[in-house]
Amino acid sequence: MPELLKPLLVLCLGNEIISDDGFGPAVAREMAKEAETSRHVDVIFAPVAGFSLLDLLAGRRKALIVDTIRTGKAAPGTLHSFAADVLVPSHHLTSSHQISLPTALELGKRLGYAMPEHLDILAVEAQDLETLSEELTPSVRAAVSDALRLVRDWITQNGVEETSNER
Amino acid sequence: MKSITIDPITRLEGHGKIHLFVNDDGSLANCYFQVPELRGFEIFARGRPVEEMARITTRICGVCPDAHHMAAAKAADAVYGAQLPPAAVKLRNLVYNAFFAGDHATHFYALGGPDFVCGPDAPPGERNILGVVAKVGLEAGKKVIAQRAAGQRIIEIIGGKKVHPVTAIPGGMSKRVSKEEQAEMIKLGEQMVEFGKFTIQVLNDVVLANKAYVDMILSDAYAHQTYNMGLVDANNKVNFYDGKVRVVGPDGKEHAKYEPKDYLDYVAEHVEPYSYLKYPYLKKVGWKGFVDGVDSGVYKASPLSRLNVSDGMATPLAQAEYERFYKTLTGDASGKTMVHATLATHWARVVELMYACEATLQQAKDDEITSDKIHNPPQGIVGEGVGIVEAPRGTLTHHYKTDQNGFVTEANLIVGTTNNNAPITMSIKRAAEGLIKKGTPITHGILNRIEMAFRAYDPCFGCATHSLPGEMPLELVIHDARSGDVVDVVCRNC
Repeated sequence: MPELLKPLLVLCLGNEIISDDGFGPAVAREMAKEAETSRHVDVIFAPVAGFSLLDLLAGRRKALIVDTIRTGKAAPGTLHSFAADVLVPSHHLTSSHQISLPTALELGKRLGYAMPEHLDILAVEAQDLETLSEELTPSVRAAVSDALRLVRDWITQNGVEETSNER
Repeated sequence: MKSITIDPITRLEGHGKIHLFVNDDGSLANCYFQVPELRGFEIFARGRPVEEMARITTRICGVCPDAHHMAAAKAADAVYGAQLPPAAVKLRNLVYNAFFAGDHATHFYALGGPDFVCGPDAPPGERNILGVVAKVGLEAGKKVIAQRAAGQRIIEIIGGKKVHPVTAIPGGMSKRVSKEEQAEMIKLGEQMVEFGKFTIQVLNDVVLANKAYVDMILSDAYAHQTYNMGLVDANNKVNFYDGKVRVVGPDGKEHAKYEPKDYLDYVAEHVEPYSYLKYPYLKKVGWKGFVDGVDSGVYKASPLSRLNVSDGMATPLAQAEYERFYKTLTGDASGKTMVHATLATHWARVVELMYACEATLQQAKDDEITSDKIHNPPQGIVGEGVGIVEAPRGTLTHHYKTDQNGFVTEANLIVGTTNNNAPITMSIKRAAEGLIKKGTPITHGILNRIEMAFRAYDPCFGCATHSLPGEMPLELVIHDARSGDVVDVVCRNC
């Protein structure tokens, strides 16, 4: 039997070498220490999409995805926080090379996996997602500390009583 | 000008756009597509140790990290003039076939398959992997997940990490494989071969048994007589990891067969004023525009083109499927007559999937993979190297020049999809010509038929970014050819 997964997952998506796509990894790095000592929450960085999301989300009660987004309607560095079901209308599923998050969730459910009952998204408005670079742009970098606060709030709000006081 | 309002939270910038310019009489004047592309690879690479490129370029593409790992590792081998021990070559081949087996399975069931299994006119809500599972059965979904897991486990055993391998280093591999791990990989290989057979059965029952689908595959709307490119082994059989690049003309005649290091003698890049995309073409034939035929340097590098440049497959079940593929589509099982139907690429992918599964099992059974001798430390430095592998979506080239300490001074990449920029443009145009008629509203069904033309190439544009929502939004923009005004916009995933 695999060991029981912690009920909460903070899944940081992105890519360390594509400018602002390094936002997720940056948040994961900052959270690593406190997550390690928590019995309730894992914080994982994964440079993946599509099917791999199913693998990572299965078995969790609730999950928060930290990622980048481009709405074009907000200044770079703006944090968008919303429930996953408003992200993409779930019937928009045809893709050029991957399945979307809602598809991965739905497929997992139909195949009988225990998928999270609730999924939230925390996404930063990105400025540059095309240049190969290990640096975030300044406005996105400045959003990391606010994002950390929101991630910690999310962990608290989701009913987890931290037993250790490591922070 | 007609505009469509889109929910702001799902409206994404930087997505794929297809522009169609339509004349007054309804005919198509021009067509091009725009996609997000990565910038700055050369600057990014400069000054880094060349052996680091194999580890770091896995991040360039979320879809084919293993392909970048291997192409960069092979280029680094060449930079150091390294000679690999046989066990290292076998391990690389094995892990690479396992990767292909997972990737092709994903495409067939999740991306390409839905058009055939659910039908091209099925509503978008059904035309996806959920629709495939509904039609073929939940078991199929579970098998796809198990197939992916098997591939990832083999990558973990040989590559050191589940998704992004790290063990190919100049001169060989950095991680040995134990007897126990070999035994596990043999079991996984057996499971994969069963999956390959199952997929051929699905293809038979659901696609080939339906005459309308076979007619659709063979229709002129999706056919292009271009050159084909792909790696072949010493017997001209398809090989994903190693060999020479073979190029065969639309007439079936060999145009070239060259060592990876000579690629610049054969391939050049054309740039169009309206686009930052590069269009590689065959240097010795020349760029004649987006046109078919032996006089046009346009080539494709895809599963279909790999079959077209080869004399067959190196494993029995895949060879049988190869023969059936050519017999059905050309009447000649030998494969000497080219298949030009773009949608046949999906079937070619199944032939390759079968091969990747069989090769994985075959190579897992080879006891030499547990050898201790997996690395020959490089003795000197050449200072330049080219590494070519077949990525699932086409020939992938990494080229580095370094200083005498192995630090990169120049870098060049031609990724799988880039090879196909010209044929994709042509396929979109051809499909659109048949569908865009004066006075006919542009529907999602029409958008899908156009999209099918390039989905066959399994493109991964701007695939390095994983930003939400995880699939590429696509916009079809119809322009008045005379004024350039936008007359209609149809959008998917945006």
